[in-house]
Amino acid sequence: MEYNGGSVVAMIGKDCVAIASDLRLGQQSVGVAMNFEKVFPVNDKLYYGLPGLATDVYTLREQLRFRVNMYRMKEEREITPKTFTHLLSSTLYEKRFGPYFLEPVVAGLTTPTELEPKPKPFISTMDTIGCITTPKDFAVAGTAQDKLYGMAEGLWEPDLEPEDLFETISQTLLNAVDRDALSGWGAIVHVITHDKVITRQLRSRMD
Amino acid sequence: MFLTRSEYDRGVNTFSPEGRLFQVEYAMEAIKLGSTTVGITTPHGVILAVEKRVPSPLIESSSIEKIMEIDAHVGCAMSGLTADARTMVDHARVTSQMHAFTYDEKIGVESCTQAVCDLALRFGESVEDDDALMSRPFGVALLIAGIDEKGPQLYHTDPSGTFTRYDAKAIGSGSDAAQQSLQDAYHRQMTLEEAAGLALKVLKQVMEEKLDENNVQLARVTPEKGFQILAEAELKERIEAIAA
Amino acid sequence: MALFDQRPAYAHEPTVAPIEHRFSPYSDNGGTILAIAGADFAVIAGDTRQSEGYSIQTRYARKVWQLTDNATLATNGFAADGKNFVKRVKQRLEWYEHAHHKPMGLKAIARMIQTMLYGRRFFPYYVYNILGGIEEDGTGAVYSFDPVGSYEREACRAAGAAQSLVQPFLDNQIYFKNQTPAPGAEAFVPGRLPMATVLGLVVDSFTSATERHIEVGDGLEMYVVMKEGRQTTDLTDEGQLPAGMKVEELGSMGEGRGEKTFLVSMPLKRD
Repeated sequence: MEYNGGSVVAMIGKDCVAIASDLRLGQQSVGVAMNFEKVFPVNDKLYYGLPGLATDVYTLREQLRFRVNMYRMKEEREITPKTFTHLLSSTLYEKRFGPYFLEPVVAGLTTPTELEPKPKPFISTMDTIGCITTPKDFAVAGTAQDKLYGMAEGLWEPDLEPEDLFETISQTLLNAVDRDALSGWGAIVHVITHDKVITRQLRSRMD
Repeated sequence: MFLTRSEYDRGVNTFSPEGRLFQVEYAMEAIKLGSTTVGITTPHGVILAVEKRVPSPLIESSSIEKIMEIDAHVGCAMSGLTADARTMVDHARVTSQMHAFTYDEKIGVESCTQAVCDLALRFGESVEDDDALMSRPFGVALLIAGIDEKGPQLYHTDPSGTFTRYDAKAIGSGSDAAQQSLQDAYHRQMTLEEAAGLALKVLKQVMEEKLDENNVQLARVTPEKGFQILAEAELKERIEAIAA
Repeated sequence: MALFDQRPAYAHEPTVAPIEHRFSPYSDNGGTILAIAGADFAVIAGDTRQSEGYSIQTRYARKVWQLTDNATLATNGFAADGKNFVKRVKQRLEWYEHAHHKPMGLKAIARMIQTMLYGRRFFPYYVYNILGGIEEDGTGAVYSFDPVGSYEREACRAAGAAQSLVQPFLDNQIYFKNQTPAPGAEAFVPGRLPMATVLGLVVDSFTSATERHIEVGDGLEMYVVMKEGRQTTDLTDEGQLPAGMKVEELGSMGEGRGEKTFLVSMPLKRD
């Protein structure tokens, strides 16, 4: 987990969710790249972040792309955040005794259906072998995990509007990674609402 | 008179039946043989002045040092066996530096004086396992001048380890007359210039030789510049000023 | 069972084998401390839980100590070392007062703590210290130390089990890190926040740490040192303190310059 470094945080707002990551890729204490995004889209309502070992980030991302595409073709519909979480979980559990060194975070909105007319914004996180937790507030993972917990616990409040959620998650991430030697070197934030996704790159201290 | 003392004036740590330590009292006498030294406190700083005895024209007068710096804000002038003062000043310097190192602040003038006096009674026969003690009392008295948060201060220390604070004090051979002159002329609102002038005038009165920049040393402690020994040029100016 | 016991007869004989015992002089007793300086006050806080491993030894153990009228010290790490260290500091403060006829100033206490800690460079007090109070020039100050005496004056500092949770929050809220003033607005200056804001941040820091860290909780003690001239009502007035606080004015400890120290305490979650 500490080999490449990196952190991800997700937060729930009012009819929106946000997910953000830092941009650093390192080899232990040596910085290698400052454009290494750890958050990827599944569709325009669902994103996930994979902080951890960089080689596993690529492998798992491709694995998930494959499985989500198969799901989309077989089911002829988009995967929901909940289902995606379980797909991700079982993919990780397949490698129970030789796990991916990743702690994924999922954030998404469910499109309203007749069965579920008012779906709640959804985030989830899991450990390296796919044990799921679905918090009602925020999820954090990566080398700055404890710092992110402290920041998020102090800044987050319920029912934030998209712009306020953006500020909250940005401040949470930036101040946490500034105290972590293995995370930082810029950040990227996605705020997912029902009609659009707001993606912004953040400038931060580069040390 | 000496016969009556003969039993008790040898041991440095034996009281006489009258309750006196003769060696300490003799040490005080040694100071009265020393050159005259004057200190004056003003609200703006402290002045120290000493007479330098230059018994031969072949002596390089600048090599006689009777005023020494203890710390940037404390200095001292001495009278008596000036060689003894080196031990005391050295101890005071170490104590001041240790204080600054340990507390990140300047040592108080009184604390500095106390440190010197702590040394004064460490004489006598050394016991085994004990740090080497001194064999006799110091034969020197100091005037310690300095400035701290309590303002400008002047202390007098003697070989018994007693210290006393003074507004103005004279020690050494001419001290009786000098102290009387100080008492007559001193007032609490003196400027530093007046005090320097007074110190030189008092020395001039009691000195046998004619006062000049070679046989006197003058120093001041001010809030702005701390302890300074006056350079020969400035000393000369001031001597000329009092002559006029 | 003897039926299944396949071991040979000699295996039942008592044997003597050397057992290695190693005494460890240190342990970690958890907890967190925190201090923030204001313009003319300082808040020094600590939780009251003391633990070893997963067991709670006590729900009320003091970590913050009033030293003088203008200085309060928080200790964190190995509780036994912490208590002993505070005892030694207090002894030195008394000696200083006897020798120099004045109470030791905050800056002097800070330097003395550094020399005391460094004096044990090769068998250190396993303690992180944070010293807070009023400087001789009347400003609120915080000094933080590592166990061997490296120290620095700062506007705020967290230490202990939840340092990693609290310090980034303080960077953000006290040092205004990653914040820019609105165009035309005044520049941010750390260490100038009003007392009510500071106390609110301290409470938030500890409730957050309690929520996410198992070694933090049970109770919170905040020592507020105020410069002379500030009133008790600055603290007790409506809106100054979050609800549910107990406020106690601590008596003068000697000849200060009229600084006041208050102990503000509240319960924290016990789970």
